[in-house]
Amino acid sequence: MTFELTMSPSDLLLFLPEILVTSWLCFILIIDFSFPRLPNEQLAYFSIAGLVGTLGCLAWFDFAGITGALFGNMFVLDRMALFFKMLIVGSAILIILVSIDYIHRFKVFRGEYYFLIVMATLGMMFMASANDLLSLFITLEFSSLGFYVLIAYLREDMASNEAGIKFFILGIFAAALLAYGISLVFGETGKLVFSDMKMAQATPGLAIGFLLIFAALGFKIGAVPFHSWIPDTYHGAPTPVTAFLSIAPKVAALAILLRMFLVALATFKPIWVLLIVAVSVLSMTYGNIVAIAQKNIKRLLAYSGIAQIGNVLIGLATGTKMGSDAMLFYLLTYLFANLGAFAIVIAVSEAIGSEEIDDYSGLGRRSPFLAFSMLIFLLSLAGVPPLAGFIGKLYIFIAAIKEGLYVLITVGLINIVISMYYYLIVVKKMYVNEPRDRSPLKISGPIKVVVYICLAGTLAIGIYPQPVTDWVVSAILVFSNVADPTASLPIPPAVIPLGG
Amino acid sequence: MADSLLYILFAPFVGAIALIFVSNRQAMLVRGIAAGSALISLLASLYLFYAYDHVKGGFQFVQRFEWSRQLGISLHLGVDGIGTPLVLASSILLFAGIFVSWHVKDRMKEFYIWLLILAAATIGVFMSLDLFFLFFFYEMSVIPMYLLLGMWGSHTKTYNEMTDPAGLKLRDSVGFIFNFGSNSKEYAAMKLVLFLSAFAVAALMGILLIYKYSELNTFDILVLREQANLMNIPVLGTTLDKIIWILIFFGFASIAPLWPLHSWSPVGHAAAPAATSMLHAGVLMKLGHFSIIRVAFEILPETTRELMPIAAVLCMFSIVYGGLVAFYAKDTKYVIGYSSSSHMGYVFLGMAALDYISVTGAVMYMFAHAMATGMLFAMAGWVYDQTHTRDIPSLGGLSNRMPFISGCFVIACMASIGVPGTVNFIAEVMIIVGSWNKYPLQVIVAVVGIVLTLAYLFKMMRGLFFGPMDQKYSHAHDAVSFPDRLPLLIMITVSVGFFFFPMHLYNVVRSGVDPLIAKIIRVVPVASQEHEPLGVKRDARANSSPQNLATLPGDLSSLMPGASGSDQ
Repeated sequence: MTFELTMSPSDLLLFLPEILVTSWLCFILIIDFSFPRLPNEQLAYFSIAGLVGTLGCLAWFDFAGITGALFGNMFVLDRMALFFKMLIVGSAILIILVSIDYIHRFKVFRGEYYFLIVMATLGMMFMASANDLLSLFITLEFSSLGFYVLIAYLREDMASNEAGIKFFILGIFAAALLAYGISLVFGETGKLVFSDMKMAQATPGLAIGFLLIFAALGFKIGAVPFHSWIPDTYHGAPTPVTAFLSIAPKVAALAILLRMFLVALATFKPIWVLLIVAVSVLSMTYGNIVAIAQKNIKRLLAYSGIAQIGNVLIGLATGTKMGSDAMLFYLLTYLFANLGAFAIVIAVSEAIGSEEIDDYSGLGRRSPFLAFSMLIFLLSLAGVPPLAGFIGKLYIFIAAIKEGLYVLITVGLINIVISMYYYLIVVKKMYVNEPRDRSPLKISGPIKVVVYICLAGTLAIGIYPQPVTDWVVSAILVFSNVADPTASLPIPPAVIPLGG
Repeated sequence: MADSLLYILFAPFVGAIALIFVSNRQAMLVRGIAAGSALISLLASLYLFYAYDHVKGGFQFVQRFEWSRQLGISLHLGVDGIGTPLVLASSILLFAGIFVSWHVKDRMKEFYIWLLILAAATIGVFMSLDLFFLFFFYEMSVIPMYLLLGMWGSHTKTYNEMTDPAGLKLRDSVGFIFNFGSNSKEYAAMKLVLFLSAFAVAALMGILLIYKYSELNTFDILVLREQANLMNIPVLGTTLDKIIWILIFFGFASIAPLWPLHSWSPVGHAAAPAATSMLHAGVLMKLGHFSIIRVAFEILPETTRELMPIAAVLCMFSIVYGGLVAFYAKDTKYVIGYSSSSHMGYVFLGMAALDYISVTGAVMYMFAHAMATGMLFAMAGWVYDQTHTRDIPSLGGLSNRMPFISGCFVIACMASIGVPGTVNFIAEVMIIVGSWNKYPLQVIVAVVGIVLTLAYLFKMMRGLFFGPMDQKYSHAHDAVSFPDRLPLLIMITVSVGFFFFPMHLYNVVRSGVDPLIAKIIRVVPVASQEHEPLGVKRDARANSSPQNLATLPGDLSSLMPGASGSDQ
C-alpha cells in the first residue's frame, strides 16, 4: 500500500484549524517558559484566544462549505467532522474558562496544564476527521496522551493519582485491543479506509476485529460494559478535567463510531444493531440505577454520563440519517447541560471545598443563581421540557421509533423516570433542605460566564431548536455514505384543515 | 384580538421572567408583577370565553408557528368548546391563587415564578393542537409542582422527628421515597413527580406510536384525526389502536386521577401550599381528562367507543373509594384531596357514557369542580396558616373567629356537593341524566357518592367551624383585607353566576362535544367525512332558536334554568 503525498496549498487549507492549534500549542509553551512570572489567567486567556480563533475558522469552513479529504481518505473534513470539531473546541474553551480559578490547586506546572488541554483538543480534532484504521489508532492515542497526565494532575492527592493510573492502565489495555482489532480487520480485508470496506465479507476474523475496535471505542465513550474506569477516574481527576473527559473524548469517539458503523459496516447493519441495542440498554439501565446510590456529585454525574451515552447509542442503533442527526443534536444539548453542571460543581467546590451531595443542602438559599442553574442543567439532563435535553431525547426517540426499535424506546422512557429520581434528589438537597451555614457563596467571573453560556444554550435550544436541527441535518447530509440517505428526508407536512 | 391565546399563554411566562429581575425585598412589586400578568391572562381568557363563537364551533383563535420542520412539529394553538372553559378556569384559579398566596414570606419571588410557570404550562395543554406541544406543556407542569411542594409545602409535625432504621433523620435519608407511611412534603413531591413522569412516558409512547403508524410525519392533531389510519394493524395478538389507546388513556388518567392510579394525588394535595393545591386540584387534574378527550377521543374515536367501558368500571371505585377515605380522613387537605379524586370519577362517568349530555356535563363539571375545590383548598390553606394544623379533631369553633371564611366555606361545600344554586348542580345532573341509559349501576354509585360527599364535607365543616373552640386559636384572624377576600369572592361569583346564566357555557361546551361524540357514536349530524366545514350544518341548526337544540338526541336544554326561564 502506497501513500501518495501530493499536497497543494488548497489541501493545506483543510488542515488550517489543526495547524492553528498546533502553532498555538508551541506559543503556549514558549510563553510559559519565557515568562515564568506571567499570571496564570493571562496564559489561560491566551489559550482561549487561540481556540476561539480556531472555532471561528471552523465556523467559516462550515459556512463556506470547505470540505475535502487528504492522504488518500485518511483524513476527511466533511461537515460532520466540522460539527464535531466545533463541539470539541467549544468544550475546550469552556473548560479552560472554568479552570482559571481551579488551577491554584496545582502546586507546579500550571502553565503546562493549558498546554495539555489544548494538546488533547488537537488530538480529538484529528479523531473527528479520522477515516481509516491507522489514523483512528494514532489520533485516539494522541488524544489520550494529554489525559493520562491531566487526570493525575493533583499530585498530592491520592485519589487523583489512583484515577490517573486506572485510566492509564485501562487506556493502554484498550489501545492494545484496538491495535489487535485493527490488525485482524486489515488481515481480513486488506483495507484501511472505512469507505473501502463496504464490500467486505463477513468472516469470524472481521467480526472479532470490529468487536475489539468497538470495545476500545466503548472504553472511550464509557458505555457498559467498558465503563469500569469511569466512576473512580471522574471522582479522582481534577474537576475541570473530569468535565472535559465527560464530553470531548466521547464526542470524538462517537464521530469514529458513526463512520465505522454507518460507512464501513453499513451492509452488516442487522447484526451490529443487536450489539448496539444491548450496549445501549445496559448503559442506560446500569448508569441510572447505580447513580441513585451516589453520594458524591462527581460520581453521580459520572454514572449519569454512562446513562446518557446509552441514550446517544439509541441514535446509532437506528443506523439512519435521522438517527445520526439526533445523535449530533443530543451531543450538543449534552455538552451544554453537562459542562454547565460541572461548572457549578467547580464553583461550589471552590466556595465550600466539598463535592458531596449532602453539602449542596440549602444551595438555593446560599446562592440562588447557582442553584437555579444547576436545576436547569440537571433537568435538561433528565429530559424535562422546555430544556434542550428534552428535545434531544425526543429527537432520538422519534428517529428510533421510525426504525421500530421498541425495546430501546421502552427502556429509554423508563430510564427517564429513573433518572428523574436522582436528579431530583440533588434538587431536593438544594432547595428543600436547609443549609448548615447560611453564608452566601462567591462565584468567580469566568465560571459565571461559562454558566451563562451553558444556560443560554440549554434554554435556547429547548425553546427553539429549529436552527440547530437544520445545522445537524446539513452536517450529516454531506456525510453522504449513510446507509440509506433518503430514509428520513423531511416529508412536507400534510395540508392542515383549520377551524374544523 | 385573534391572538388572545398568545396573551393568555405567554403573559404568565413573561411575568415569571420579569420576576427574576426583581428583588425579594420589594414585596409589593413582586406581588404586583405576578398579579398583573395573571390579570392579563384572566382578561384575555374572559374575552376568549365571551368571543368564542359556539354557533361556528370548531377550533377558533388558531395560531400556528412552524417549530421544527424535521420533526413535523408546529406550535399550533387553538381552542374548541372543551378547551375554552378550561382555559378560563385555569386563569381564574391562577389569578385567585396569586392572592391566596399573598402572605407567602419565604422566597416569595421564587414562589410566584413557579406558580406562574405551572399555570401557564397547564393553560398550554388546554390550547395545544399539536401532540408534541400537548406533551411538552404537560411535562412542563410537573417540575414546578415538585418545587412548590418541596419548598413551600407542609407536612405533619411528627414527621420531622421520624428516623429510619439506620438512625438517620427520615427527611435526610435517601430511602425516604420508600417510606410509604409518611406524608412528608419531600415524599409527596417525589412521589408526584415520579408517578406522573412514569405515566407520562407511557402516554409519550402512545404518541410516538401514533406518529410512526400514521406515517404523516406530523404531530398535528387536526391532521392526525382526519388522516391517520391506525385501525386494524395487528400487534401482539391484539390491534395497534387498542395498545395506543390503553397507553394514552392510562398515561393521562394517572393525573386525572383514576382510581388505581390516584395515590400520588391526595398526598400531593396535602403537602402543597394552598395556591398550588388549588391549581393542582382545580386544573392540573383536568389535564388528564382533557388530554384523553383531545388525543384518544379525537384520533381514535372507534377504539374509544370500544374501550371506554374500562373507565366506566374504574370510575365507580374512584367515586366510592375516594369518598370513603375522605370520610375517615382527619386532615383537612386529605379530605379535600380525596374528595377531588372522588369527584373526578364523575367526570370519567360522564365521559364513559359517550352521550352528548353526559360528556357536556363532564366538561362543565370540570369547570365547576375547579371553582369549588379551589375555594375549599384556599380556605383550608387559610385555616392552616392561622392555626398551623390541619388536624380536624383538634380544631373547632373557628366560625367565631372567622365568620367570612366560614360563610364562604359553607358555600364552597354546597358547590362541591352540587346543591342547586351552583353550577356544579347543573353539571352533576347532566352527567347523571346522560349516563343513566348506558350505565344505571354507575349512576346509582354516583348518587351514593353525592351522599358521601355531603357526609364528609359536613363532617369537616362541623369539625372546623362549629362546636367548642380551643383557646389557643383565639388569635386566628378572619380574611378581612381586600386581597384576602378577592379570590374567594371571584370563585363564588363564578360558581353561582354560571348557575343562573349557564347557557353560554353550555353552548360553548356543547359545540365542542357534539362533533366529537357524533364521530365516536357514528351518528352523523355533521358531514365531517367530506371535510366539509362543521359550520355549515351547525349554522342551520343555530339559526333556529336555541330551543331547537332539543331536536338533537338526548338533549337536556329544557332542564337548564337559563333556557327554560324558570328559576329554581
